[in-house]
Amino acid sequence: MATGSSKLKTVVPDALIAFSVLITAYFVLWNVSQLAMSPLAAFVLWRHRRRNTERARRLPIDVRLPPLVSIVVPAHNEELTIVESIRALLALDYQPRELVIVNDGSKDGTLALLQRAFQLVAAPVAFERPLASEAVRGIYRSVSEPEIVVVDKVNGGSKADAVNAGINAASGALVLVIDADTVLEADALNRAVLPFLEDPSTVAVGANIGIANGCHIENGRVVDVSLPRSWFARFQIVEYMRSFLLFRLACVSQNALVIISGAFGLFRRDAVIAIGGYDRTAIGEDMDVTVRLQRHFRERGLPIRIEFDPHPLCWTQAPDDWQSMKSQRCRWRRGLLQTLWRYRRMIGNPRFGKVGLGAMPYVAFFEGLGPLLEVGGYLVTIVGAALGLLNWAYFGMMIAVSVFSGVAVTLLAVLLNDVAMRRYMEGRTLALLVAIALLESVGYRQLNSLWGCLGTYQALTGTGGWGSMTRKAFKTES
Amino acid sequence: MTDLLVEFSRLAPLMVWVAVVLALAMTCAVVLERALFGIQQALSRRVLKRYAPLVQRALERDEVARRELAKSPARHQVAIARLLIEPLVRDRDPARIAEARAIATAMSVPALAGRYLRSWFWWRRALALRALGLIQARDHIAHLVAALDDAHPDVRAAALDALTDLQDPASVPAIVVRLHDTSLHRGRRGAALKALGSRCESLLLELSEVDPTHRLNYSLALAICGTEKSRPVLCRWTRDARVDVRATAFQALGFVGLDEEAARVALQGLKSDDATVRAMAAFALRGWQGPGDAANRLAVHLEDAWAVAVQAARTLQSMGHAGSAVLLACASRPGVAGLLARQMLWQPDLPS
Repeated sequence: MATGSSKLKTVVPDALIAFSVLITAYFVLWNVSQLAMSPLAAFVLWRHRRRNTERARRLPIDVRLPPLVSIVVPAHNEELTIVESIRALLALDYQPRELVIVNDGSKDGTLALLQRAFQLVAAPVAFERPLASEAVRGIYRSVSEPEIVVVDKVNGGSKADAVNAGINAASGALVLVIDADTVLEADALNRAVLPFLEDPSTVAVGANIGIANGCHIENGRVVDVSLPRSWFARFQIVEYMRSFLLFRLACVSQNALVIISGAFGLFRRDAVIAIGGYDRTAIGEDMDVTVRLQRHFRERGLPIRIEFDPHPLCWTQAPDDWQSMKSQRCRWRRGLLQTLWRYRRMIGNPRFGKVGLGAMPYVAFFEGLGPLLEVGGYLVTIVGAALGLLNWAYFGMMIAVSVFSGVAVTLLAVLLNDVAMRRYMEGRTLALLVAIALLESVGYRQLNSLWGCLGTYQALTGTGGWGSMTRKAFKTES
Repeated sequence: MTDLLVEFSRLAPLMVWVAVVLALAMTCAVVLERALFGIQQALSRRVLKRYAPLVQRALERDEVARRELAKSPARHQVAIARLLIEPLVRDRDPARIAEARAIATAMSVPALAGRYLRSWFWWRRALALRALGLIQARDHIAHLVAALDDAHPDVRAAALDALTDLQDPASVPAIVVRLHDTSLHRGRRGAALKALGSRCESLLLELSEVDPTHRLNYSLALAICGTEKSRPVLCRWTRDARVDVRATAFQALGFVGLDEEAARVALQGLKSDDATVRAMAAFALRGWQGPGDAANRLAVHLEDAWAVAVQAARTLQSMGHAGSAVLLACASRPGVAGLLARQMLWQPDLPS
């Protein structure tokens, strides 16, 4: 017994030290990877600014038959924002378009509102059903706006199901999948269509997404960008900057993008149909569909290009309350783990090129393991402190490294964001962004990691649902 | 294991310093970038305030304003050229282009563009090409054509844009011979063909005779710029051994328009074994109201494969009374055929 106890006394400190070394190494690696991505991201941004001139954006007007874009808008209980969203879509610059709004079994007044606002009538519409979805109850066309098609269907329990029904009803060669509360920039489609006209191997285009909280929105357009009052939303702004302008741009520079955000994704319809559409069982359907596109084309040796526009082509509401945020983060986490598990064969597989050797291993290592290691680190610290084994000087230095390197990476993203979009440019806003970068490491980051662990637990036990986000009408945003 | 921690502990202060320096460096970089941007904005506002009214007056043929612009310092030339030329992206009014060209020439902008064309930096070469195209500087056409072979893809794209803006017949051979050059953006090649229109047709037909392997591309090109002159050739290509060539030839016929012989060929195409060919044959008949009982023969295809049925339905919708009568007769049919017919009778003609 005495021997066991003495063994424990040596094993526990050693284990704690080993774990703390592992976590330190992980943090160093993460920060180094972020910094290493920055030249790639900066290059993509610079190239994009040089290439994406006003003259270049005229190309969709210059070609004889610009591709018809079907804008698929899945709507489930979206009565607060749906009419204004649709009106904004009708005011887009790009003309060859149709709007396919999918009422996904809404229990609120979404359909009734649409019927009133756009004079919908039940219409005979024939369409092929290459993708599986729940039963369609009816198809409506607008008398006042002929480009609107409303698909009323039984709720399928997922956005993927609604999107599949929308893609079935779409007649365009390109389908733009957005969220019902997405606010598009007027020239979003002109910009997003461009890669398809330039390179026939383009199968999808994603875009940078701005957070609409705090912005002044008029007639479905963001007219003034400013930081929101909610700290939750503020933290997400810098988080989005890091995510969109470092990792994704670095992936784009290597043609290895593995996620197109669900808020804005323009796809070649035939490519989405070729992979069987959106997976109705996928929790993170946006990442799932992007990875499947990469897998499908690369497995068959077909050329594939997935592009990303660093200019914010759309704006979305971020959750600004505890509960919505928690359910969103847990869902993202479950989605990430599900996708990584489903496509684990791609990780480290040279057959999938830079996707298999670069993007997927990065996601698996840094995003898959990150929250677990971080929370593990906090637990080790607590145990170490309780056992009197914590080296406080070392601990303090590691906290300082974590905070300052986090601030450096966030400011790098702010710098890239400045170059990409020239928003949040006031001096006061910059000071606030620096403050957000500092404060993010104290509380918000830990909370996110905790939700990540909770999401992991839910993924392992098969619990957790889609959750819901308290929507706000755009007019109350400013 | 404790040794490992000791090693790490030694490294920790260094890591703290690196992190602090990085954070400070990033803060400085953001502040510096914003300051530089602010200065740049202030300078452009100053130039705009000074020269925008002058440019406007010069465009209204005010000689004093033109002389003042011509005398402007060299450091402001690029900014003035932007003020003068950038609006031409949106406004392609020939009179305005001519005025802008005259002012730009007086300011030696083409000479400056010539220097930029020899620059090491690709974005300068691209900028010069775009400017020359927008002001339709025809005396620089040789430079624009030469730039189609530039080492940088974006310069080649800018050269195509410039030739599209220029719409000069002298550039037809250069554009047509590069029809199969996949290093040039697909959409831009199409836009250039559209801009030059039927002026490309003869050369396309001539080349297609000696180069049957690229018939698919020639069909696609003729779909953009072909006229009735291409019809016999396209009819011949509808009998090509390759399915994609046959389908594209029918598609091109749809854009070129049909005569009786071409309509007969299209109706024959409806009997093809391949669904894509049948769909494009149905497309080719769009708007046809001549002999051949096309409407009734298309009605059969409302029950064909989906792609064929949709094209047949849309073509029936475009065929006037004959098409409407057939759609009306089919509207009571069960299944997809009836639904498609009812849809076509109900909805307005959608873009293809």
